[in-house]
Amino acid sequence: MLTCEQTAPGVVLIAGRLDAAQAAVAQNFLDALPGTVTLDCTALEYISSAGLGVLLKTQKRLKSSGGELRLTKVSQQIFHIFALAGFDQIFRIEAA
Amino acid sequence: MPSRKFARRLDALEGLFEFSSATFRQLEIDASLLFAIDFALEELFTNMVKYGGSKAQILIEIDAIPGGAKVVMVDEDVDFFDVTNAPPVDTDLPLQERNPGRLGLHLIPKVVDTIEYRYFEPERRCRVSFTKTLSRPEQQEPANNPNNPAQES
Repeated sequence: MLTCEQTAPGVVLIAGRLDAAQAAVAQNFLDALPGTVTLDCTALEYISSAGLGVLLKTQKRLKSSGGELRLTKVSQQIFHIFALAGFDQIFRIEAA
Repeated sequence: MPSRKFARRLDALEGLFEFSSATFRQLEIDASLLFAIDFALEELFTNMVKYGGSKAQILIEIDAIPGGAKVVMVDEDVDFFDVTNAPPVDTDLPLQERNPGRLGLHLIPKVVDTIEYRYFEPERRCRVSFTKTLSRPEQQEPANNPNNPAQES
């Protein structure tokens, strides 16, 4: 299961597993947000390439209009996936 | 060895992850390996669902090996497609040139220790197996991926 909740202006708490079955949930939520968005990954347990695709698409959209997607409180395992995917070069990422 | 068949649908992933976590508990496999196992399972499973073209259910077996786990996935009535030989993805491209396609297959050998693809004709069956153990620290080197299309005897 995956949930997304805007906890403050520009801050989204994403919780659960961002897998291929849940990617559309995250994409639909993020697609509605403008500007700079901070994704709080405290409760993000897992991510697959489908989830990476959601983040990539969102970053492209926000950057094209002067904003960005920032990833914070990222667990060690997910940070490792981000690094393998080269996401540390195209996102600001803060480890947990 | 615990095994289960899964319908070729993305909503089967939830049950697949329940199976992997339950099997880890049952076989007392170190839980720190589950992330990598689930990652490889999902990427391979979704690849089979999206591109396999078959209607058969996908068989998944998980077993304990010294220091970790081994997973075997069997798909029936499919064309040959060696998942260990997918084109590499350039992860150094700038943002606007990045696309998410094939990223999953690219990452699998980086998160598991070994991965092997075998294809059996004329049954049109593919068998993908991979392992993950505690003894191999996280590293950038790709997993060993022997692939030998085989004739089933």
